[in-house]
Amino acid sequence: MTLSPATGPALADVQAITEQVWSSFLGDEEPLLQRFTEPSESGSVAFPAEQVWSAAVSVHGDWTGSITVELSGAVAQSLTRLMLALADEPLEDADIADAVGELVNMIGGNVKSLMPGPSALTLPVVAAGRAAHATDLAEVARLDAVWNGEPVRVSVHAPRS
Amino acid sequence: MTQSPMTQSPMTQRALIIDDSKAMRSILRRIVAGLGFETAEAAHGREALDHLEAATATGRVPHLCLIDWNMPVMDGYTFITEVRRRPEWRHVTLMMVTTESEQGQIVRALAAGAHEYVIKPFTPDAIVEKLELLGLVGKGVLA
Repeated sequence: MTLSPATGPALADVQAITEQVWSSFLGDEEPLLQRFTEPSESGSVAFPAEQVWSAAVSVHGDWTGSITVELSGAVAQSLTRLMLALADEPLEDADIADAVGELVNMIGGNVKSLMPGPSALTLPVVAAGRAAHATDLAEVARLDAVWNGEPVRVSVHAPRS
Repeated sequence: MTQSPMTQSPMTQRALIIDDSKAMRSILRRIVAGLGFETAEAAHGREALDHLEAATATGRVPHLCLIDWNMPVMDGYTFITEVRRRPEWRHVTLMMVTTESEQGQIVRALAAGAHEYVIKPFTPDAIVEKLELLGLVGKGVLA
């Protein structure tokens, strides 16, 4: 049996959406910079073994897939402080999960709008740690970036059809 | 002595921010509070309906609701349809603020009774511009 390639958004579109979301809520002072990686490079190279947050939303409908964001703990904390307008006070994990979830919700919702519809977007699922993907999904786009020297990854997965 | 509407002082406008994300509620709260709105928050549509019921009892129904679409318990679309069933809430301005950007969904929300639609991500200026178009910024709401 021959599998046809999974379909998804163009990397340039994922990058444009991510940059727009980033600049809207984190400002333009420190831009998100694309980091070029080999397709075979594993995430362990870019991300620290600990202190990583990941979040995903799924799209179901005429196009089905998932959008995942992975951030270092430092980026997740900065994001949370900026979104909640907090200074140096300690952050609750629940607040970090909320901010990271809203980030993937915005990126995922805009990726959904690029794909054939109608479709529905799930609520975000957030975890402390790297993202895990089902084996029946293929990565169709991956943006590796750095912000303040810390890694950020946005990936889109779709079923192998 | 009864004041005529023209001589009444503008009352503080009230906004209810409905989003399951605390971070997004915080961002929207800062924007509308900066415009002089008194704000309240709800994490989903059901909680927002409860707020409207309580506010009705005290005569402090919000002038504006900012509504996310995808939320647990009750989504924003259902909330709008519920609000539009109630004649006493017909003056509440309903503005969707959501990542849901399919044209069909936007048309559906507007047909259900939303006045405006803002797609996330947004800038503060985009929110202000919509509120100006709705007449909620730039002039006082008379009691």
